[in-house]
Amino acid sequence: MTEGQPAPRPPSSFRGVRLDAIDIVPDSCTSQEPAIPIPAFLSQLAVSGVAVLVIVALAAAARLARSTPPLDEAAARALLADDFPDAQIDQVWLAADGAAALALSGSQALYLFRLGDAWVARDLAWSDVASAPVRGGRLHLPLSDVSPRLARPALAGWAPETA
Amino acid sequence: MLEAPFDPVKLAIPFFILAILLEIGLGRLRLASAEYEARDTAASLAMGLLRGIPALLTAGLIFAATVWVWEHRVLTVPFDAWWGWVAIFFLDDLIYYVFHRLSHERRFWWAAHVNHHSSQHYNLSTALRQTWTGGLAGTWLLWLPLAFLGFSPAQIAIQQGISLVYQFWIHTEAVGRMPAWFEAVFNTPSHHRVHHARNPRYLDRNYAGILIIWDKMFGTFQAELDEEKPRYGLIRNLGSFNILTVAFHEWIAIGRDLASARSLREVGGYLFGPPAWSPDGSRDTSKSLRARWAARQSAGATPAE
Ligand SMILES: [Zn+2]
Ligand SMILES: [Zn+2]
Repeated sequence: MTEGQPAPRPPSSFRGVRLDAIDIVPDSCTSQEPAIPIPAFLSQLAVSGVAVLVIVALAAAARLARSTPPLDEAAARALLADDFPDAQIDQVWLAADGAAALALSGSQALYLFRLGDAWVARDLAWSDVASAPVRGGRLHLPLSDVSPRLARPALAGWAPETA
Repeated sequence: MLEAPFDPVKLAIPFFILAILLEIGLGRLRLASAEYEARDTAASLAMGLLRGIPALLTAGLIFAATVWVWEHRVLTVPFDAWWGWVAIFFLDDLIYYVFHRLSHERRFWWAAHVNHHSSQHYNLSTALRQTWTGGLAGTWLLWLPLAFLGFSPAQIAIQQGISLVYQFWIHTEAVGRMPAWFEAVFNTPSHHRVHHARNPRYLDRNYAGILIIWDKMFGTFQAELDEEKPRYGLIRNLGSFNILTVAFHEWIAIGRDLASARSLREVGGYLFGPPAWSPDGSRDTSKSLRARWAARQSAGATPAE
């Protein structure tokens, strides 16, 4: 299901536009009822909003999330292979909490982190990783769209200068 | 007729809610396969709930354009003629196929469609992860020929609504395969799981709305294979559940690329090339990923020395 489709419409409108606001008289089905007023639109939105909150609460209570146990090296390699099937992985470091991993692949760094009950991967130049700052015990990677911080204690044997 | 006497989407909203609750319940009781993550679900439902607001921006233009074209129609299809409904069922579904294929193969339209694919989950809530920028992307123009042919704006709106409602129920892992005759003709949960998958084998396949026949006719069909479970989402998944990121991330990425463009060719490529087009071909497109996957397959099929 996708776009190009009309939004849900009030009954006396077409594609969300109030027909009574347009200087055209329908040739049939002329509606005498007034276009849906703003308060009604907002109250419909509010009712739908409550339904959304109930669904989200039930989805959380039902505990239907995938299991994402802390990473070990084999799991990190397997997950990285999904996103980077051609990459030769030379070395893997795991974050202390098992929620992220960093891999060296030639001159590239491959980075994997947990988001909710799924995994997200990014790649960046290894030189950027080797010079990435450590603040508050966490390694801060320079990525444009996410701001990952890897728990440093878990980056066992972290020594980028020798990699 | 301009005004649709009823709106299939609005009528179906209670069904949407009940069906999602049923899917969660069946998943909880382990009677069906269903995976939900609360923040992912919240993002999907918020996209669906709030999409009416950005849609207001372009609704007037879309309506006026449709009416204007219809006033210049070559025929008049009576609203109550059965053959008119049969005709618009097939025509709308063919236009949907074209719209959907364009939305995957060209970045400008992908930017409006990508949010629908941005969840790593595949459940009924994913169906409601609707675009906020489809009106601005202008894909509604593809439906104007129906008005020119003589289908009334109301009839077009109703058929689009029927298609949207049909496509809701196929966003589920709770249904394995439908009967073979149904799978052969209609878009199904199995076919659409392939469409939402990011496995290279499954990329850019199964653009169907209601009928899967278009994909079979135009060479974009891929059956779901038991040995290859779909992995859902994007080639590079989003790192956030923020709905503003979901709605606008690809537009922002286009803006960033355009700012760095050094020639008209690069501007054209970034806007209307395939998603992830780059001047030096250094980024992975669906095509390059599929090609490398095919190469790995054939290398794997060759016995090692
Ligand atoms: Zn879908
Ligand atoms: Zn799609």
